[in-house]
This record gives sequence, C-alpha cells and structure tokens, in this order.
Amino acid sequence: MMSRMSRFTLTCLAALAAAWLLSGERFLDAVFEMPDLGRLDDAIIAAVVTLEDWKAALGLPDVFSAMRGAIHRALGLL
Amino acid sequence: MVFPTLQFIGFFAVVLALNGLFWNSNAWRKGMLIAASYVFYAAWDVRFLLLMGFVSSVAWLAGLAVTMPRLRRPAKAAGIAAMLAVLGAFKYYNFFTLSLAQLLQSLGLERDLPWMTVVLPVGISFYTFQAISYIMDVDRQEIPPRRNPADVFLYISFFPQLVAGPIVRAAHFLPQIDRPTRPDNAARAAAVVLILSGLFKKMVVANYLSVLLVDPVFGLPGGQDWQSAGAATLGYAVQIYCDFSGYSDIAIGIALLLGYRFHRNFNQPYRADSLRDFWRRWHISLSTWIRDYLYVPLGGRKGSPARQHFTLILTMTLAGLWHGAGWNFILWGFFHGAGLAVERVLRRAGARLPRVLAIVAVFVFVSLLWIPFRATSFADTLAMLAAFGRTDGYGALQIVPVVWGLLAAGLAMNGLPLTWRARAEIALARLGPELQALILALGIWAMFAAAQEGVAPFIYFQF
Repeated sequence: MMSRMSRFTLTCLAALAAAWLLSGERFLDAVFEMPDLGRLDDAIIAAVVTLEDWKAALGLPDVFSAMRGAIHRALGLL
Repeated sequence: MVFPTLQFIGFFAVVLALNGLFWNSNAWRKGMLIAASYVFYAAWDVRFLLLMGFVSSVAWLAGLAVTMPRLRRPAKAAGIAAMLAVLGAFKYYNFFTLSLAQLLQSLGLERDLPWMTVVLPVGISFYTFQAISYIMDVDRQEIPPRRNPADVFLYISFFPQLVAGPIVRAAHFLPQIDRPTRPDNAARAAAVVLILSGLFKKMVVANYLSVLLVDPVFGLPGGQDWQSAGAATLGYAVQIYCDFSGYSDIAIGIALLLGYRFHRNFNQPYRADSLRDFWRRWHISLSTWIRDYLYVPLGGRKGSPARQHFTLILTMTLAGLWHGAGWNFILWGFFHGAGLAVERVLRRAGARLPRVLAIVAVFVFVSLLWIPFRATSFADTLAMLAAFGRTDGYGALQIVPVVWGLLAAGLAMNGLPLTWRARAEIALARLGPELQALILALGIWAMFAAAQEGVAPFIYFQF
C-alpha cells in the first residue's frame, strides 16, 4: 500500500502537471537555465520539447494569465 | 536557482519524488541529495562547485584531524583559517584593497595595489560558517567527526539552506542525516503553512514594496522629503523582514518535506522590547552562531564592564562586516553594538520603558539603522537621513494605495499571534495527504498569479 507521503508527492506532481497545462509557462525555458548535463541534457530537452508540442496541440486556455490579470487589476497594479 | 520560480518547483518535485524512492537506502538518499544540491548550486555558476567542494573537503579533513591529540590545535587553526581565507579572498579582498588604497592616498603615499576580478559566490558566507561550525563542534566534542565525507558534503551543501541559511549547526543536522524523520501529517501541514506564508511574504509583500516604494526612494535619496523618506524607511524594514524571513520559512518547509528539521530563524522580531530581545528574534541562527563562535571566544561577559562593552561592540561590528564588504555594513553593526551596550548600562541602572513604548523605540532604532544597510553608499545614507529634515523634495514619491495595504500585511505577518499559525497547522494536519498537496499547489498558484512578472533575488543572497 502506498504511504501517505507518496500520495502527497504524487498529488504534488499531478498538480504541477495541471498547473503547467493551464498556464503559458514553459518548462523548456526553465530547462535551458539549468547547468548543461551533457547527453542527459539532450535527452531531457528532447522530452520537454515533445511535451511542450503536445501541450500546444491541446490548445488549452491560459487560465494562469487570466487569473494574474484579474488579481493585478483588482489591486490597481495594471 | 531561486525558490519562487517554475524552475525550482520542477527541480524540487523531482527531488521530492527521488527522496521518497530512496528513503530506505541511506547511502543512495545522501548521494541523491548531494547531487541535487550541487545541481542547484551549479545553476548559478558551475565554477562555484569547486569552491564548495574545497570548503567541504577541508572541513571533513579538519574534523578528522582535530580528534588526534597531536594535530588538534594546528588542524583547528588551519581549518578555520582556510574558511576565513576563502571568505577573505572572495568577499573582502577588493574592499580592503580599496580601503587601503584610499588610506595611502590620503596620507600622500599612493601605491598601485594588486586588484582581483572576483565574482562573489552566492551563499559563501553561509556555507563557510557552517563549515566552521562543524570543525568547532567536533573540536568541542559536541559531535564525533564523520568518517564518511558524504555526511560533511551533504551538511554543507544541503540545498534548502545553502544560499541564504538558516545557518544549521552540525550538532543539530548531522544526527538527522542518518535518521531523517519521515514527514507525517503534522510535519506536512507545518511545511505547507511555512512554504505558503514564506511565498506570500517574499513574492507579494517584499517584492511589491521594493518596486513601488523602497527602490524609487533609495534610488534618489537627495530628492526626497520627510514623508517619502519615512515611508521608504518603514517600507524597507517591512521588506527586509518579509524577504529574509520568507526565504527562511520556505527553506525550513522544504527541508521538512524532505525529512529534516531546522530551528526557526525568525520569531516576530518587530515585537522585541529591547535590542537584546530583537537579536534573539532576528536571524536567530546567525545571532546564536556569532554568540557561540565569536562573542564568547572573544571574552563575552568576562572582564570589566568597559571590556564587556568593547567585546559586544566589536562582535556586532564584525557581524556587520559579515553582511557585506562595505563601510555601510560596518557602521550598521557598530551602531547595533553600541545600542546593545547602552541598553545594558541602562538595564543595570534599573531604567525601563513601558513595554509598548519600548517596542516602538526598538522598532524606530532598528528601522533607522536599516538605512545604511539599504543605501548603496555612505553619501546616500547621509542624503537619506537629511531628507527627514526636508518638507519638500523634487523626487518625492506619490505612494499608491496598495502600498499601505502591503505595509499592513507585512507588519501583520510579524505581529499576528503565533496561535493562529498553530491553528492553521492543526486544521491542515487533519486533512489527507492529497488535500494537503492540493492546498499547497493552489496556494503556490495564487502567489505566482499575484506576484509581479520576473524574479527578484532575495536580499540575503548577496551575503
């Protein structure tokens, strides 16, 4: 049976995936800022590019930007 | 790599998953955490890894050597000297060279002095202090030396506290390396509260105050009037508290999720009713480090009253220098030391203020001393202080209403009863792990949405 910490970790990972899907944020940008890990880096970048392409093809709305805009307008920051 | 970024969240999600995967294998878990910490540090500059590896190696070897009777003294001296040399070369060399050149010039003895182009490795002051803590704790027989270098490497490089503390004591952390505590419901709840409150303090309060109030005023101190100077001084007091305690909260929360407990680093510092009380509440890990490894060895409370005051002022001046290679920081430390000495004299004479007045007096004193800490030069410090005497200024700021809300929110984070936090933790601890994770994720999402675009580095990274 899965431990409670494992369930917590898996939910965090799922939430991270959902947040990425519903935002305009790109993991590719974050990966390019990481230190070069040689061949491993190439594999990571290839995988992330595939995922980013898949996300773009889904055409999901950028909920994060909409929420950010609403909050900033409400606070008088826009 | 900075905590409030997508890059770090992705990195930490992977580390959290691997930590769970390797939980039952001590060697693999240590190896993974060291590798993760080195990747984390390399995200700033790969070259820094060599320096951190050097510091860790010297600490490990010195720890082994100080337990050998014949080598004890030279090993301890060499180990500490190596750490101070690293700090001196990377952090203070150019400052002291410039100060010496200016002194020689003023004496008519101008000389060409050797300059070095040095990039200050982020977090160097923190991990060299941890290395010194390890050597001293082994020397004082508070902990046995570690035969396995991985233990010392992990202690010094552990990424949650690597670049801006808390400064974790070897005696507190090393026993946990062998037996980390698997986070239970209560630990996860505490971690969620710490991470979310830390993100709020940093991403919302500190960053906006910096952009909307503090930076514009401190950027043009000569053009301010007393109102904008006062608001920016108050703003910086709130900003630096939210920035640094926010970082500490996130670091402690992240470590907790990985199974390691750190002591808290801030305890409502602006509720202090004396300067002594303030230093027991502000950056507690540094205050106690300085007390145990600097103030006490320098003499502490031994000797005549004059000697005790001198030790106190010297200790605080050196603490100021630890914060940065500049006369502003030295001045800041000196005045804190002088304030502590005066306070001690008054306390011994039996002079006391009512508690509320004492809290206000300490807050005003500490806030005014943040001016040299924040100003970029001695001239800017004087210009900012002069602005308090002006009724009009060509650069005076129009303060937008949200700033007052941010100031109130920042002060509330400092002043709210601790029982509120405890209640939030108890409520979260009753929830299942999935709900805890969802609240953490939604909270992080909301903080990112409320924050400005881009990433403002934490103030204490520069130290």
